[in-house]
Amino acid sequence: MSKAGLIAARLLQIVPTFLLIGVVVFVLARLLPGDPVSAMLGDRASDEAVNRLRQQMGLDRTIFEQFAIFLENAVRGDFGTSIAFRVPVTSVIAERLPVTLALTGLATLIALGLAVPLAFVAGLNANRWPDFLIRSVFQVGLSSPVFYVGLILLTVFAAWFRWFPVGGYGEGVADILWHLLLPAVTLALSFAAVIMRNLRASVLEVLNAEFVDFARAKGLSRRVILTRHVLRNALISTVTLVGLHAGSLLGGAVITESVFAVPGMGRLMVDSIFARDYPMIQALTLILAVVVSLAFLVTDLVQMALDPRVAR
Amino acid sequence: MTAVALAWRRAPVSLVAGVVILAALAVCALAPGLIAPYDPLAFDYGALLQPPSAPHPFGTDQFGRDILSRTIAAATVDLQIAIFATLGPLVIGAIVGLLVGYYGGLADAVFGRLVDLVVTFPFLVLVIAIVAVLGPGLSNMYIAIGVVGWVFYARLMRAEVMVLRGQDYVSAAKVLGYPERRILLRHILPNAARPILVYWMTDMALAILLGSSLGYLGLGAQPPTAEWGVLIADGKNFFSQAWWITVFPGAAIVLCGMGFSLFGDGLADLMDVRR
Amino acid sequence: MRRTFLKASLVALAVATGLVQLPSIADAATRGGKMVYARYADSLFLDPVLNDANVDIWVLTNLYDTLLQPTADGLGVQPGLATKWDVSGDGKTVTLALRPGVKFADGSALTADDVKWSLDRARDPKAGAWNSSLASIESVSVSGPETVTLALKHPDPTILPALATFNSAILPQKAFEASPGATPEEKAKSFAEKPIGTGPFVMTAWKRGVSMTLKRNPYYWKQGEDGKPLPYLDELEFQIIPDDATRLLKLKAGEIDGTEFIPYARVKELQADPNLRMELWPSTRVRYLTFYCGPTYKDGKPNPVANPKVRQALNYAVNKDAIIQITTLGLGKPMRSFMSATTPLFVGQDNLYKYDLAKAKALLAEAGMANGFDLQIYSLSGNGDDANDLAAVQQMWAQVGVKLRIDQVDNATRTARYREENFGMRTSAWTNDISDPSQITSYFAYWPNIHSLHSNWQDKRVDELFEKSQQEIDPKARAEQYREIQQRYNESAPILYLYETPYPVAFRKNAKGFVQIPLGNNLFEAAYIEK
Repeated sequence: MSKAGLIAARLLQIVPTFLLIGVVVFVLARLLPGDPVSAMLGDRASDEAVNRLRQQMGLDRTIFEQFAIFLENAVRGDFGTSIAFRVPVTSVIAERLPVTLALTGLATLIALGLAVPLAFVAGLNANRWPDFLIRSVFQVGLSSPVFYVGLILLTVFAAWFRWFPVGGYGEGVADILWHLLLPAVTLALSFAAVIMRNLRASVLEVLNAEFVDFARAKGLSRRVILTRHVLRNALISTVTLVGLHAGSLLGGAVITESVFAVPGMGRLMVDSIFARDYPMIQALTLILAVVVSLAFLVTDLVQMALDPRVAR
Repeated sequence: MTAVALAWRRAPVSLVAGVVILAALAVCALAPGLIAPYDPLAFDYGALLQPPSAPHPFGTDQFGRDILSRTIAAATVDLQIAIFATLGPLVIGAIVGLLVGYYGGLADAVFGRLVDLVVTFPFLVLVIAIVAVLGPGLSNMYIAIGVVGWVFYARLMRAEVMVLRGQDYVSAAKVLGYPERRILLRHILPNAARPILVYWMTDMALAILLGSSLGYLGLGAQPPTAEWGVLIADGKNFFSQAWWITVFPGAAIVLCGMGFSLFGDGLADLMDVRR
Repeated sequence: MRRTFLKASLVALAVATGLVQLPSIADAATRGGKMVYARYADSLFLDPVLNDANVDIWVLTNLYDTLLQPTADGLGVQPGLATKWDVSGDGKTVTLALRPGVKFADGSALTADDVKWSLDRARDPKAGAWNSSLASIESVSVSGPETVTLALKHPDPTILPALATFNSAILPQKAFEASPGATPEEKAKSFAEKPIGTGPFVMTAWKRGVSMTLKRNPYYWKQGEDGKPLPYLDELEFQIIPDDATRLLKLKAGEIDGTEFIPYARVKELQADPNLRMELWPSTRVRYLTFYCGPTYKDGKPNPVANPKVRQALNYAVNKDAIIQITTLGLGKPMRSFMSATTPLFVGQDNLYKYDLAKAKALLAEAGMANGFDLQIYSLSGNGDDANDLAAVQQMWAQVGVKLRIDQVDNATRTARYREENFGMRTSAWTNDISDPSQITSYFAYWPNIHSLHSNWQDKRVDELFEKSQQEIDPKARAEQYREIQQRYNESAPILYLYETPYPVAFRKNAKGFVQIPLGNNLFEAAYIEK
C-alpha cells in the first residue's frame, strides 16, 4: 500500500469511528445523574430559575432533537458554548490542548530517554546483575500509581528541595519545561517500564536470531551488528508501542494534571464531567480522538519509513 | 528430587518472586483478622496520628485507626478488585475474540470499529464517566471496568486466532470434517489462550492501579471500607505531618502490582509468550 | 427614624453574641506591587444579578459596589455608593443620597439613572436567583441628580441589608447596553466577560479555570490610610488550584502570596511556620447534615427519621466535640441553633443536643426503633471534611444500631437528588449572603420556599412566624419571632447539628490587609505587599 493509500484508508476508517464516538459520548453525558443546570445553580436556586435555564440551554427538547442540533453544528465545526465557562468550547480547548500535548510529548521523550539505553544494557547483559537491577527498578515504576508518585515527587523535589515549582504552567519554553518536568517524569515512569520491557525482549530476540549469527559469521563486529540490525528492528517495535500508548498516556494525564495543577485537557475533561458541561465533554472527546488517531497514523507512517516490508 | 522441586528450580526467578509476593498478600487477604493487630475500623481517641511505633508499626490515622491493620484489611478489597474487575472481561473477551477471529466477516468489521472506539478514548476518563452514571461503589466499578476492558482481551485473542486459523493442523481438522465447535475449543483455544493468560496478570496489576485511582478520587470503594487508594486519599492532607498514613498503603499497591507483573513475566518466560 | 432601630438591634446583637472581632489594619500600607491569591475554584459568571454561586459572590465586591455595604463584623450596614439613607416613619419609603463624584472603571460618571436601572434589573422577578431579596420594592425613582427614592409595597426590615448585598450592585447602564448581544442575557454574558464597576479593581484578563488578572481601578472612590485613593495593589492575580495540598505547597514555596480553604488539619502546621500568617475569619458558616423528613422515601419505603424523636436521638448519639476535634482539630464550635452565632437575631441554646448515648437509646426505644435501622447519605467524593465527619458519625451511630450507608457522589448528582427530594440524608454547609436571618430561615425552616432544604419538614407555626417577621418593623417583636422559630426548629431537629467554623485563610508574612467578612466576601481593596 502506498503512503497516500494508507492515509486515505485510515481517514475512511476514522469517519464511522468518530460518528460512533459522537453517539456514545452524547448518550453517556446525558445518562449522568442531574444535568448542567443542577451542577451550575447549586443548592439554592428556585425551581423557576432551574426551569428557565434548562429552557435557555435547550435541555427541555428531546434527546433526538438535541443530537440533531449537535451533529449539525459539529459538522460546521461549531461545538457550541461551554455551559460552565459561557464561552465557545473551542477557545477554552485551544488554551488547554497545547499544554497537554507538551506534557505528554515531554513524558514520551523522558520515557524513551530512560528506557532505550537501559533496555540495551539489560538486553546485552541478560540474566546478569545489571539486567536484574534495571528490570527491578522499572518494575517498581510500572506498579506505582500516578497519584502516589506525583504526591511524593511534589513533596520531595518541589516542597523540600525547592528545585522545581510546585505546579502550574509557565510562560516561554524554558519556564514551561521547568514547570512540566516533574509531572512529565511522573507520567513517564510506567510508560518507560513498558517500553523497556518490550525493547529488551526485542534486543534478545534479535541477538538470538539467525541473521545475527550469520552476520557474526561474516565477521561483523558486535557494534555494527547492534547498530545495523538490533537497533533498527527494536526501534520499529518501540515506535508501534509509543503510538499504541498515546491514549493511555492521555488518560494518565488526567490525574497528573490534577495533582500538579497543570491546566491541561485531562483536568478539563474531569471538571467538565462533574459540571455536566455537555458541549465541552463532547468536543473534548472528539478532539482527543483526533489526536489519538493522528498518533496512530503517524505511527504507521514512521513504521513504513523504517521498515519497507510493512509497505508491501 | 521430586517433580515439584525440580519445577521450582527451573522456574524463572521472576515467577518465583511473583508467587512469593502474591502468596503473602493472599494470606493477608484471606485471613486479615489473624494477622492484623487491631480492628481496622476501631477508633482510638487516645492515639490520634501516632507515628510508627512498637504498638502501631505503621502508625495511626486521624481517628486513631491502626494503619497496619487497615493496610492488611485493604488487601482483601484490592485483591478482590484485581480478580473481579478482570475475570469478566477475560471470559467475554476470549469468547468474542475467538468467534470474531475465526469467522471474520461483518462481525469482525464491527469489532474493528469498536476497538477503534475504545483505544481512542482515554480509558480512565471512560471509566470515571461510567461510574458517575452508575453511582460509586465497588460493584459499579467492576461493571465500568468490564464494559471497556473486555475489548483488550478480545483484540489479543482475535490476533492469535487469525494466525492459528491458517495453520496446517487446523486446515487438516477442517478437511477431516471435525465440527467447528471442536476445532475452536480443542485446537485453537488452547494455543491461543497463553498470551491472554499472560496479559491477564498484567491486567490484574492495572486493575489494582485503576481501582486505587478511583478509590483515591472517591469513586471506588466507599467508606468505611479500607482500600489502598482510599487510604492514600485519607492521608493526603496529613502528608506533611503524618506521612505514614499515605506511604504504607502506597507501598502495598506497588508491592502488589509487582507481584502480578513479576508473575506475569515469569509465566511469559515459561510459556514462551512474547509481550 | 427607621435607622435607629437597626442600629439599636445591632448593638444588642453584638453584645448578645459576644463575638465581634474587628479586623485590624495596623501598620502603614505599602503601595504598588502585585498579589497572587490562589482560589480552589474559578468564578463562573461575574454578573451580580445572574450569577449563581459563591465562587462569583465572594469576589464581586472587588469589581462592583453596592449602595450600602456590610460592616466588617457582618452584622450591620455602612455607607457605600450611598452616603446617607433614610427610612420614612411608615417604613414604606427609603431615600438614598448618592456619593458625589464616583466614577466607573472606564472613567464615566456614576449617575442616579445607573442606580435606578441597576436596581430595576436586580429586582426583575424573571432575572436570576436573587431577585426576591428586593421583592418589596414597588418602584425606584430618581428624585434628584444625587438622590434615589425607593417606594416599598410594605415595610421591609431586610431592605437595608438587601441594598448591601451583591445582587444590588450598581452597573453602568450605557456600557452594559453597548455590550454585544441581541438579548439582555447575551448582553449580560458579554458584559460579564469584561465587567465594569465602581469597585477597587477592574478585570483585565481571564483564562478560564486557570487565572484571572485584576488591575487597580484608578477612579476608585475609597481613600487609603495615606489619604490617597485605594487600592494599594497595582495588580491582583487569582490562580485556580483545586487541590488543597498543591495550594499549600505553593504557598509554602512562596509561589503565591495567599490562599483560601486551608484544610483544618493543616492549620496548626501553618501557624507554626515563621514565613506564614494563618488567619481565621469569623464566618456565618454552619456545617450540618440534612435529614429527609417526609413520611416515606421516593421509593415508597417508610422513612425512619420522619419521627422527630428519632432525629433527636440521632443528634444525641453524635459526639460533636469529638468530631470537631477530628475534622477541624478543635477550630470549630458546636452549633447552637440552625443559624450561626454571627447571624443577626441568632438565639443560641447552649449544649444543644450534647452527646448523650443513654438519652439517644431511650428516645429510639420510645419511637419503637430500639433495634436500629438503615440510613443512607450522599456526600461529596474527594471532600476531606465530608469523609472525616461521616466516618465519625457512621461509627457513633453504630453504637445505637443505626447503619449509615455513605454514597460518595459528585456535586451535580448530590444536587439533583436533593432537588428531587430523593435522599436519606446529605452533607451540607451554609453561609449567609446577607446580614439578616431571613435568608437562612427561608431556606431552612420556611416550607413554601424550597420545602425546608428539600427535607419536606414543615411547621405551620414557623411558616406563619416567618411571614410575619418579613414585614415586622418593631425590632423587639421581630427578635421574638426569630427566637420562637429557632426554638421550634431546633427542637424538631430536621438537621443533624455539627459545627460552626471560621474561614481559614493563609498568607505569606509580608502579604497583608486582606479582609474576609462573615458573609464570605473577599475584600482586597486594602491588601498590600510589604517590601
